[in-house]
Amino acid sequence: MSEDQIMSGASEAAQRQVRVQLTSQQEDIALPESTGPILVPTGLRRYALSTLVNNLLSSEKPIPFEFLINGTFLRTSIDEYLVDNGISAETTLEIEYVRALIPPLHIASFQHDDWVSSTDVLSTTSPAASWASGATVKKGQERILSGSYDGLLRIWNMSSETIATSPAATEGGHTASIKAAKFVSPNQIASAGLDRTVRLWKYTEDEGGFAGKIAPQLELYGHKSGIESLAVHAQSNRLLTGSSDHTVGFWSTKKADAPAAPENLLPSNARNSKRRKLNSSVSTAQRGPLNLLSGHTAPVSAAIFDAKDATVGYSASWDHSLRTWDLVTGGLVDTRTTSHSLLSLEHLPELNLLAAGTAARHITLIDPRASATTVAAMTLRGHTNAVVSLARDPHSTYGLISGSHDGTCRIWDIRSTKTDKEGVVGESVYSITRKSLEEEGKADSKRVGGEGVKVFSVCWDKTIGIVSAGEDKRIQINRGEGVLSSKA
Amino acid sequence: MNPKAASKKRKAVTRDVEEEAGVFSGDELSKENLDGALSDNANELSESEDESDSDFEVVDEFSDSEDGEEELDSDEIPSDTEEDRKPAPGEPNVRIVKDANGNDRYLYDEIHPDDNSEYSEADENANTIGNIPLKFYDEYPHIGYDINGKKIMRPAKGEALDALLDSIEIPKGWTGLTDPATGKPLELSQEELELLRKVQMNEVPSDGYDPYEPLVEWFSSQQEIMPLSAAPEPKRRFVPSKHEQKRVMKLVKAIREGRILPYKAPEEKDEKEEELINYDLWADEAERPDHVMHIPAPKLPPPGYEESYHPPAEYLPDSKERKEWEQMDPEDREKDFLPNDFGSLRRVPGYESFVQEKFERCLDLYLAPRVRRSKLNIDPESLLPKLPSPEELKPFPTACATVFRGHKGRVRSVAVDPTGIWLATGGDDGTVRVWELLTGRQLWSVKLSDEDAVNVVRWRPGKDAVILAAASGDDIFLAVPPIVDPEIEKASLEILDAGWGFAASKPAPSASEEGKKNTPPQWIRPSSTLLDAGVCVVIPLKYVPKSISWHRRGDYFVTVCSGASTPASVAISIHTVSKHLTQFPFRRRLKGGGPPQTAHFHPSKPILFVANQRSIRAYDLSRQLLVKILQPGARWISSFDIHPTSSSASGGDNIIVGSYDRRLLWHDLDLSQRPYKTLRYHRKAIRAVKFHPSGRYPLFADASDDGSLQIFHGSVTGDMLSNATIVPLKVLKGHKITGELGVLDIDWHPREAWCVSAGADGTCRLWM
Repeated sequence: MSEDQIMSGASEAAQRQVRVQLTSQQEDIALPESTGPILVPTGLRRYALSTLVNNLLSSEKPIPFEFLINGTFLRTSIDEYLVDNGISAETTLEIEYVRALIPPLHIASFQHDDWVSSTDVLSTTSPAASWASGATVKKGQERILSGSYDGLLRIWNMSSETIATSPAATEGGHTASIKAAKFVSPNQIASAGLDRTVRLWKYTEDEGGFAGKIAPQLELYGHKSGIESLAVHAQSNRLLTGSSDHTVGFWSTKKADAPAAPENLLPSNARNSKRRKLNSSVSTAQRGPLNLLSGHTAPVSAAIFDAKDATVGYSASWDHSLRTWDLVTGGLVDTRTTSHSLLSLEHLPELNLLAAGTAARHITLIDPRASATTVAAMTLRGHTNAVVSLARDPHSTYGLISGSHDGTCRIWDIRSTKTDKEGVVGESVYSITRKSLEEEGKADSKRVGGEGVKVFSVCWDKTIGIVSAGEDKRIQINRGEGVLSSKA
Repeated sequence: MNPKAASKKRKAVTRDVEEEAGVFSGDELSKENLDGALSDNANELSESEDESDSDFEVVDEFSDSEDGEEELDSDEIPSDTEEDRKPAPGEPNVRIVKDANGNDRYLYDEIHPDDNSEYSEADENANTIGNIPLKFYDEYPHIGYDINGKKIMRPAKGEALDALLDSIEIPKGWTGLTDPATGKPLELSQEELELLRKVQMNEVPSDGYDPYEPLVEWFSSQQEIMPLSAAPEPKRRFVPSKHEQKRVMKLVKAIREGRILPYKAPEEKDEKEEELINYDLWADEAERPDHVMHIPAPKLPPPGYEESYHPPAEYLPDSKERKEWEQMDPEDREKDFLPNDFGSLRRVPGYESFVQEKFERCLDLYLAPRVRRSKLNIDPESLLPKLPSPEELKPFPTACATVFRGHKGRVRSVAVDPTGIWLATGGDDGTVRVWELLTGRQLWSVKLSDEDAVNVVRWRPGKDAVILAAASGDDIFLAVPPIVDPEIEKASLEILDAGWGFAASKPAPSASEEGKKNTPPQWIRPSSTLLDAGVCVVIPLKYVPKSISWHRRGDYFVTVCSGASTPASVAISIHTVSKHLTQFPFRRRLKGGGPPQTAHFHPSKPILFVANQRSIRAYDLSRQLLVKILQPGARWISSFDIHPTSSSASGGDNIIVGSYDRRLLWHDLDLSQRPYKTLRYHRKAIRAVKFHPSGRYPLFADASDDGSLQIFHGSVTGDMLSNATIVPLKVLKGHKITGELGVLDIDWHPREAWCVSAGADGTCRLWM
């Protein structure tokens, strides 16, 4: 109370004041219970409030905070916020504070021979590691998987060395570009591409972790056109693929579970001798899909599992629709139609929202539940080209990262909004540009259509950071400085 | 006092001595009251005339000679003399006497008509003959009678006088005066006479005196450093005047005592005046509305900055403008004044042409009578067609999403495959390439020819097979790109291979037939390298096909060789894929408009549209009839497209036509053979036009050599009564103009509102 009076006495004449109650969900930065509401001048902004909280916590190293009032970030002064929202300055304002996101800095770039279409990570915190039953990932032995347009998978360690490369087409590798690749477990990799196959690989590393081997395990046939996306659920040994042939494929990673491969789609049926030569000398087991879910009328650009319930799948397609599938029966549960082609999909389970990147340069947040009344809950605008990749923030349930053909990755917090003429529109928190542009000294120049720097895939891991792959033949790793240290 | 005496004396003197006028006049001047006689010449004349009998003429002469002097006198002397005779200026010429009632009575002096008032006294010697001519007395020695009846003798004539004077000898210097000191006759020397003359002339008598010495201005406006007088400032300059104070106090006292009233007391009105009735004619006058025909004079515009007396500097003309304005004919001047900066309002001179301007304004108002014009009160906005705003017509392509780079040289043709995943392009480097549409990744490439450019690439419609038709040089290639799954690939190959058997069953053309010009070509297999690359069939035409258009069912396609040297009979050919058959349906050249340019099948009817340079003809293929001729009015048609939802009924077809003379024309076949709308938005030739192939988006686009694409909304309703709505939506810029060429071809995505363009700069672009 004494603090209260001192502050009020100092500046009462000069400025309006408002009583605020500062709270936090995280225990390590929570204020002691005794801290009651305090009076602060309404002219304060985020930075001043952050300093105030740091003082109250008497923390040695100041932690930057963001402040949430009624679920949205404070982006103006308190005064303007009160005026905009018509809140009286007499009420006690509940302000929740969270750690601010730290601007992601460029850590490293791994050069490839060709465009990199997909990437995944293996770390202690990655989903593949958490699903793993037998093998575990040691700390400091993080691996990055990249699938490239040259049809090769590569495994990288954090010091930008290629540990393993998948075999070439003649030795059982992909015969065309890889469009999606994922770790199933620390020992298994799934990949899919324009050769219409999903391939499962066994990944083994030697003792020191400086060399590895990717060996073909299983080839899955069934799609009649290029496969655009791949989702993995390791506990149930299931894969979900989205393909340009308008179907969603549901596969098993176990040889025993999978049905036989459809004969007509096997490469041996191809027409001429020369192409047959390309076919691999290595014979790998060939299997078919558990189910091909048809319903879409245009190429399926993304298919994912529900983050909570692996029997539910979602797919997004160029036909503007987002469909919910019951994977057990293979039935179509629900169709949500938007007004643009959807190119990527991510599930935000805590918010019951699906984020879908569109060809119309934005991200729509869709509530897939049957009870939802509105199709699009929110729109995140900022990209200047198609949004082709989405990933969840491992730190926050509200965070999201998107990779777009405009050559940037953007970090979004759906609490960071502004009111537009079209309603509530999300704003990106940070934008990550390609390092390759900066190295060429053209960081400022705008590429038409993101030419040469398109981002094809983005992945966000707690340990490694943000990994993005793109047309500049690189994997780029960005990490917010201090994110790791704050958890350590 | 006694003018008569004076004049007599004068006459006597005159008679006696002429030369000594100075002396005698000096005498006379000494007499005080002579002034009257002297000042009025006319009076004197009349007197002398009346008095004298005989010396009339002499007097006349004399008076002439004396004129100058007299006038001199009259200037200077009267100031002395008048003071004696007239009352002092301050003294009133009124006497106040009491009349019988005791009131004041003002008696004024009698007013004299002239200053010499004694004139009226009767002259004893006046001639009394009355108003008869004197010549009646010429015979007599007298000239009349005086008041007493005595004769007035004729004065002596000149000769007699001269004789008399001659007879008298006057000694030199004789004055007729006696020197009182000596008692001898006074003689005056020449110097003395001169002295006297000077005295008489009122000059300074001493010699060497210059009356007109240059004036030294001792007292001037200039303030000298050393003053002429060191006298202190007189007291009166700074002490308030006691005299004035006395006078003021007098007035104050009078006001206090009520002797002076500050204002006049109102006069009491007479009763008589009150009885007067004043009629106010305008007391209850109400303002009347203007006459129906009244037109108020047009208002002059209010003055602007230029008219200001102190205009801003930018309004002031510089010397060049001023000169130009001055040299210009007043009639040609834009404005009839030049802006002028006077600095401040008090420096502004009178406006010299004010009167003239007002006069001209009056003339304008008077000579140019105002007429009420009947004006249609229509809001110009309402005349514009109600077009929806582009925002409402979304989606349409707005930005470049992907750049497809790889072709060397121009990209001539572009086509999106029916599934919408791939893009095929053909360019000047002789290659056909297939790309992943969204990412811009090249998936397949084949070099069809080393020398010739690939002029056109077109996918076979339908999703059951993937076949790409490309024209390079004289040949048409049918290819199955190895990008599809084995099933569809097989199906595609089967479609292409089915004709081999048919061709084999056909008898080979005889030698005579081969010699003929329009022998249909044989379809052949390509070279092994091309075969490996995916090309399956080659159709060798002898001329360069520039256009390929598939029939919607995918079994036929029409090619047009638009080269001027192509014989008319083989310019247009229809190819049947299933039979490997090429036909030449036209024997003769289409009338009017040069070689054929391009041809398309109707989307639903068995009608072939063929365009030559100036017209488009529609032929019914089943009945082999000419159905319709369209005259777009363009000089050289480059391309046209038929609306995909064109009805299968007799009417309802819409066609867009692009022409090299920069026009985009919309034809509604029901309306007229002339265009319904002409859109002229490009600066250079239009190369390609295309409707969106699905009926979902009512969009069409054109590509021009100015490097831009234009996207239009063109919705067609099923209703026969309403016409198509055409709204320009977007100009897409990005292609660089290379060698005078911009965008060469355009195609739409089959489902989405995305379009792809091929540029002369070697790139293709996806717009979405």
